Amino acid sequence: MVDQDINKKLDTVQMMVNMGPQHPSTHGVFRMVLAVDGERIVDVEPHIGYLHRGSEKLCEGEIYVQIVTLFDRLDYLSNLNNEMVFCRAVEKLMELEIPERAEYIRVILCELNRVASHLLFIGTFGLDVGAMTPSMYMFRDREKIQSMFEAVTGARMMHNYIRIGGIKNDVPDDFIHRMKSLIVELKKGLEEADKLLSFNEIFLARTKNIGTMSAKMAIEYGVSGPSLRASGVPIDIRKDHPYSIYDRFDFGIPIGEIGDCWDRYYVRLEEVRQSISIMEQALYQLPDGDTITPTRFLLRPPKGEVYVRGENPRGEIGVYMISDGTDKPYRVKVRPPSFCNLMTIKDLLIDTYVADAVVILGSLDIVLGEVDR
Amino acid sequence: MLGNLKGLLVTLSSMLRKPVTYQYPKEHKPIENRYMGFPVLMWDSQISEPYCTGCMVCVRYCPTQCMTAVMKDNPLHAEGVSKRRKIVDSFEINFGRCIVCGICVDVCNFDAIEMSHEHELSKYARNDNRSDLTRLLEMGRKYQEETDWKPKTNAKESEEEASS
Amino acid sequence: MSLIIDVGMRVSLILGLLTGLSVVVLSLVWVERKFLGRIQMRMGPMVVGPYGLLQPVADAIKLVAKEDLLSPWVDRIVYWIAPLAVFIPSFMIWVTIPISRDIVIRNMDMGLFYIIAFSVLSIVGLVAAGWASSNKYAVLGGFRAAAQLISYEIPLIMAVLGVAMLAQSLNLQEIVNQQDTYVYALVQPLGLLIFFIAGLAEIGRTPFDIHPAESEVVGGPFVEYSGAHWSIFFLAEYINTFAVAALTVLMFLGGWLLPGLSGGAITTVGVLVFFAKTYLVILIIFWFRGTFPRLRIDQLMSFGWKMLVPLSFLNIILTGCYMFYGWPAWLMSIISVTILASVFWLVSKRMNNTKKEYTVHIYKPESLEVKNAG
Repeated sequence: MVDQDINKKLDTVQMMVNMGPQHPSTHGVFRMVLAVDGERIVDVEPHIGYLHRGSEKLCEGEIYVQIVTLFDRLDYLSNLNNEMVFCRAVEKLMELEIPERAEYIRVILCELNRVASHLLFIGTFGLDVGAMTPSMYMFRDREKIQSMFEAVTGARMMHNYIRIGGIKNDVPDDFIHRMKSLIVELKKGLEEADKLLSFNEIFLARTKNIGTMSAKMAIEYGVSGPSLRASGVPIDIRKDHPYSIYDRFDFGIPIGEIGDCWDRYYVRLEEVRQSISIMEQALYQLPDGDTITPTRFLLRPPKGEVYVRGENPRGEIGVYMISDGTDKPYRVKVRPPSFCNLMTIKDLLIDTYVADAVVILGSLDIVLGEVDR
Repeated sequence: MLGNLKGLLVTLSSMLRKPVTYQYPKEHKPIENRYMGFPVLMWDSQISEPYCTGCMVCVRYCPTQCMTAVMKDNPLHAEGVSKRRKIVDSFEINFGRCIVCGICVDVCNFDAIEMSHEHELSKYARNDNRSDLTRLLEMGRKYQEETDWKPKTNAKESEEEASS
Repeated sequence: MSLIIDVGMRVSLILGLLTGLSVVVLSLVWVERKFLGRIQMRMGPMVVGPYGLLQPVADAIKLVAKEDLLSPWVDRIVYWIAPLAVFIPSFMIWVTIPISRDIVIRNMDMGLFYIIAFSVLSIVGLVAAGWASSNKYAVLGGFRAAAQLISYEIPLIMAVLGVAMLAQSLNLQEIVNQQDTYVYALVQPLGLLIFFIAGLAEIGRTPFDIHPAESEVVGGPFVEYSGAHWSIFFLAEYINTFAVAALTVLMFLGGWLLPGLSGGAITTVGVLVFFAKTYLVILIIFWFRGTFPRLRIDQLMSFGWKMLVPLSFLNIILTGCYMFYGWPAWLMSIISVTILASVFWLVSKRMNNTKKEYTVHIYKPESLEVKNAG
């Protein structure tokens, strides 16, 4: 209140600052037009669309097998989760049965991908608040996950590994052994990040009570994923509407208290621990058997429409697909979690500082490939 | 303050550990067996001709339309050396467009195309990575030597399937 | 004739100082990159020269050879003057900083006063650079720099004053000589900490790298600068880093003095001792850079005005009492340490830094079966 009085007397002039699309910490080609009064943000106008590739329209021209490669490129930090949700949509339409082993491998890899994505978040969030070392540590650990993906799927990022009806091929022989040592290393790396960043006083000062999103606001905006859970709403599709075989694992949902940047950060860090626990259980339960239900390559699902949703690292991804019985879908609509989370940016940013803008945007953990599609 | 001190200790302790860097151009990270590099064509060294018959199934299923293929009658078949009636005449993959999805390998009936371990293809001109048949086969032979590659299916059966 | 010799002497001194400082800066760049690399489990520069030793030289050549890009909207004169306005003060203070007994360009009786007075000038350069660049990030960065540097001058000066009171002199030679029996860091740990923190803020190092903050204002006042002009800012920044470390060493850590070192050896070996101490302090600065996040500008200001300034005044009062009543030195150290400890405790309590308060809860629905049914 006092601050505003001072401003009135001084009669300061607002300045428009164009943050992005080429700004180091807008996490891609996101653009915010900030109206700042000194250091305080008065108004925000977010601009998206710089990475629009027309993925949804492209899907209409491709056969189902090819669409998996397009879904890889939506949220390019959690490719396997995207592949999985699309494959599940087609499988639901065709009422395919997935072999047990394939389900387990899918879940293990998806959780691994979630860990990779969250590790990257922790690293880049550290960069946003100005700490340069966490990002290096996290990239070191993520590199191990990437190597694991390379050994299993053959690619480090765009895997095209989860196929309609199962997975592309069985995991290599030393998969379980390697996963176990990887999990040990990941736990160690995570502890390091926890010690280095989480309870650092400067970090707390920068993130506590910044960008607070109330549960009501989060629900009204349709925020999902860790950003929603940080506000204290325990909604996780893996738990509430278990898909695949998530109902067989014992894991918790980390929820925050007030939904500030620190909560959003720590919920993700805690989620990594839960994901690691899921992976451990899945590795223990991993059955033998087939890995794919054979389908025709040029498959034609029956006429109909389907909506499938899944829990991505960034939130709830939904795929709405209409099939007209041909080899190409009539329409594919993706509900991207990043896009819905990003909509809160205007409310969160107003009356914060320029430095907070970066932190808040970072804490929402958006991927522009998914926002613009 | 305790958090700050803890952080300082973490950085200090990791300073005493070994770096994890690979000195890239000198030292390469080992490539995993399954690594999918760019697709290349395989060379049948028994008959000394490519496996590829130019059937264009990979061309049709490629999500980015990065390949072209032309088929011709196999002269070696006429001589009775080869069992392939048709053989690839020209083949081109634009590696600049290829997204390394592996669909071409999945659809190929002749084990003619494989995802190689080739991934360092920097070139000076935009179109220098449009690879013709000779280059693809060369890369393929390099891959075959590297990994001791064997065809997965019986080539004979596939040959008949194609000709029928 | 004597005039020519005099001018020649001065010019060669200046050139010598410039060369020496440039070498120091190059070494600092290498040390920083290598040290940060090791902290982050990287190797740092490895390609140019053995262990990348020539990397800073290569960087310097690249920077000088680079095209100097100029936006058409810049205020040319101010834009060209700004780097010099930052560089010259940081260069000038080295005139009176001794690197060993009697090894100094000009030993001034008002040495500390001269250093403080000159170091303040660089603010003008930063604001000018921010203003003249006609870039909004630069403007933000320039204003941040002004606010930050001016408010941290006060604790810096106060901490320096504490030392000056103890030594009864503003002459750096004298101050170091006074630390013959014990270094001032023991008597004034509070002063050392205030000086070090304020010094970090003065040179804009993590956690106070607010005006060049890369993730917020993308380099602050230096956004639009490139090539040689940018490298002058860069040079000034590292010279300032070195100066703050050197002043810390001279005023609090005994400069070139080392227990057991005496007689004529002080002058020669002292140089090595001084440099060793200075580089140690610099390593601590780099260590902080590798560990800490960045403060926000308002937090920085409140930290400066609400904590450092009162503490520095307290330090002055304590030193005054110590001088006036002739307290034993150990009492002063104990009081200083007590104050430090209580401030630490207060800050910790203020931040409420207990894991219990700051954790997220793990929510687990009681029965999985009920959930599955839905």
